[in-house]
Amino acid sequence: MIKESTQLSFENVGKSYGRGKAVIEAFDLNIFHGEFVSLIGPSGCGKSTILKLVAGLTPITEGELKVDNKSPENAREDMAYIFQEATLLPWLTVTNNIQVPLRLLHWRKSKREEIANRLIELVGLSSVKDYYPRQLSGGMQMRVSIARALTLSPKILLLDEPFGALDEMARDHLNEELLAIRAQEDWTALFVTHSVPEAIFLSSRIIILSANPGRLYKTIAIDFPYPRKPELRESLEYQQAVADVSHHLRSVER
Amino acid sequence: MNNRLYWALPLITGFFMIGIWYAIKWTNDLPHYILPSPDEIIRAGFAEKDILFKAARETIVGAVIGFLSAGSIGFALALILSSSPWIKASLYPWVLFLQMIPVIVMVPIFVLWLGPGLPSVAIITFMIGFFPIVANTTQGLISTEKNMVDLFTLYNASKLQEVFFLRVPYALPYFLTGLKIAASLAVIGALTGEIFAGSASGSGGLGFMVVVYNSQLKIPELFATAIVACALGFIFVSIVLVLSWYLLRHWHESVAQKDR
Repeated sequence: MIKESTQLSFENVGKSYGRGKAVIEAFDLNIFHGEFVSLIGPSGCGKSTILKLVAGLTPITEGELKVDNKSPENAREDMAYIFQEATLLPWLTVTNNIQVPLRLLHWRKSKREEIANRLIELVGLSSVKDYYPRQLSGGMQMRVSIARALTLSPKILLLDEPFGALDEMARDHLNEELLAIRAQEDWTALFVTHSVPEAIFLSSRIIILSANPGRLYKTIAIDFPYPRKPELRESLEYQQAVADVSHHLRSVER
Repeated sequence: MNNRLYWALPLITGFFMIGIWYAIKWTNDLPHYILPSPDEIIRAGFAEKDILFKAARETIVGAVIGFLSAGSIGFALALILSSSPWIKASLYPWVLFLQMIPVIVMVPIFVLWLGPGLPSVAIITFMIGFFPIVANTTQGLISTEKNMVDLFTLYNASKLQEVFFLRVPYALPYFLTGLKIAASLAVIGALTGEIFAGSASGSGGLGFMVVVYNSQLKIPELFATAIVACALGFIFVSIVLVLSWYLLRHWHESVAQKDR
């Protein structure tokens, strides 16, 4: 993986809503192509806000934020966003939900279906491709959401606590699948989570934020080589990393 | 509850109530012009069936025209209201204000403007069904989940795509709820209109027959008219319920069966 090219750069970024207090202050960070970066921190540290800034859903109020050397609004076609809820359109089947981004761009039906079929296979939903979202479990709905995010082959994936509502088993499975998918697709990930073990299993780098206002507190590199297997969770080194990150997290919360 | 009971119970209560009806009539020795018995009503209904049938047809025409225009114009107005917070802020209070005007007060005004007959009847039906449709549909169009709207923003969807690909389907259950209310009011609206707007040609709808029978003290016939109106209302609501089931059957909790 090429690690030199910067994909996301925050320079002294600040954000406040209206005349309120700053949510994020003096935030500096460079994220390189191919990285998997997790944002973790106490509630109120603005980690979800950072994703919204990158996606251009809300403007920054200070500093400079570049996505692929473009402003966030102009880089939207390079990005995909995965929300905390699956955010599927309940009146569309699995395959039609996955095709939504392509339909908005007026792609041909045959091309749309080709892409949808490949992604349905990738996330393991072939048997339920004509089901409606309400017929699926939470984990399956999230898989559909992931597949939809991958339709336009994004360069950057923004994930806002996508597995937060799932039970631990489903979460672990989806973590493994997400890494397996990433081995085939080439994207940089910015991942927001509350779970230290999840962050360590997935990330190449963890950013710990402090709250009120949100600031970068500490950067921790996670050096376990990819591909990572589920057994990694049982290793002592992994346990040690969980303990280290948890320790830092506790010291921010104090 | 098993299926047979499901059908049998309402029938049993029905027979029970008819029994009470006869009991009240006989113990108080009430004449047919105060309280006709069910058999007198049925006989009167059959004797007048040609007139009632023709009147029902007129009522249906007025009700359908009023109902369909309430549905389409109501939907269009909801789209306009939801298109910008500015438009909604300037118009919606007036929509609510107009809704507060009792339709019955407007009836003589419409008759004055449009003369007696179908146009007045249709407009009165329209008035009565229009507001529930506007209120419900607007609510649906503006309450689309924030994340879904964000999703469309992220994919650079146009305003039109957002409306027709996201907000309209999202509001469909709300619109259908409005339609259901309007359907149950359509026949009542048409009858109210006919009672006041009468007829332009000497024959008229069920509301007109109410006026005629009342002036002739034909009370069993009046009851028979009520039953026909009841049946019409039932058909109207059923059609909307079927439509609603058909459109929402796959995805909306209100009608989709629990298949997992």
